[in-house]
Amino acid sequence: MKRFIALFSVLVLLAAGVTAMRYDYENVAITYDGSDTKVENLYNDPYKYTTSDADGVASIIVKTNLDKTHAANNVAAIVFDYRGFDTIGESFILLAAIAGSFTILRVSKKGKEDDHEA
Amino acid sequence: MKLKDGIKETNVVVKSGADMILPFALVFGLYVILFGTVSPGGGFQGGVMVASACLLLYLGYGYKATANMINREVLEVNEALGAIIYVLLAACGLFMGARFCQNVFTDIGKVGDLISAGTVTFMSFAVGYKVLTGVGFLLLLMLYLLGDDDEEEEVEEE
Repeated sequence: MKRFIALFSVLVLLAAGVTAMRYDYENVAITYDGSDTKVENLYNDPYKYTTSDADGVASIIVKTNLDKTHAANNVAAIVFDYRGFDTIGESFILLAAIAGSFTILRVSKKGKEDDHEA
Repeated sequence: MKLKDGIKETNVVVKSGADMILPFALVFGLYVILFGTVSPGGGFQGGVMVASACLLLYLGYGYKATANMINREVLEVNEALGAIIYVLLAACGLFMGARFCQNVFTDIGKVGDLISAGTVTFMSFAVGYKVLTGVGFLLLLMLYLLGDDDEEEEVEEE
């Protein structure tokens, strides 16, 4: 019974994911101005692709960044303002990694000392 | 501090090379932290550069001198301090009635100055401080594990 419930919930999640992907593919434009980026064309002839202006979210950020954050560097604005939560997670991953390696290395050090005594 | 019998790890060339390069490495790492918000770079990268510059100290002078110079416990406390400063700066936005992490001090300096972007600049400094102390602590811990047994006993006695 447990196994059946687990399988059923996984199938429901899969169906929801497939439906969402299909809806996105059919109804949502890939870029904000509606003009799709054709990856195959870009691969065949990279020089045809216009790089004079940003599109999509990049365009919004580039154009409104100075008014919103007063940071001259767009990358710094994204890392510490738009996606500040991401940076918090990053630095706490570092904290967790250091605490974990401190624990493991201290234990192995203790074991080493015991070996020498024995 | 012997690799084999008769071969010492520290010799005068490595020592003077460490002496010569260490100040430049430290200054360049601090430069990357300070100018992270107006030029390529940032707190994280600069912090790792400063911390790894301290490896030169180990290469030149061995574990014992490095452990005497830098206190590991102080480094770990300061790492937590950096994280707390970051969260407080990010929460400034909440206290001033804006989003979490949003820059609310927009009237500091001209755009493009070193300290011009309000909380973005200081959060970059906080992350740099946190990474500097954290990675430095990790490197010292690994060096402690690698160190010779005789030296450790001397250090532990102190």
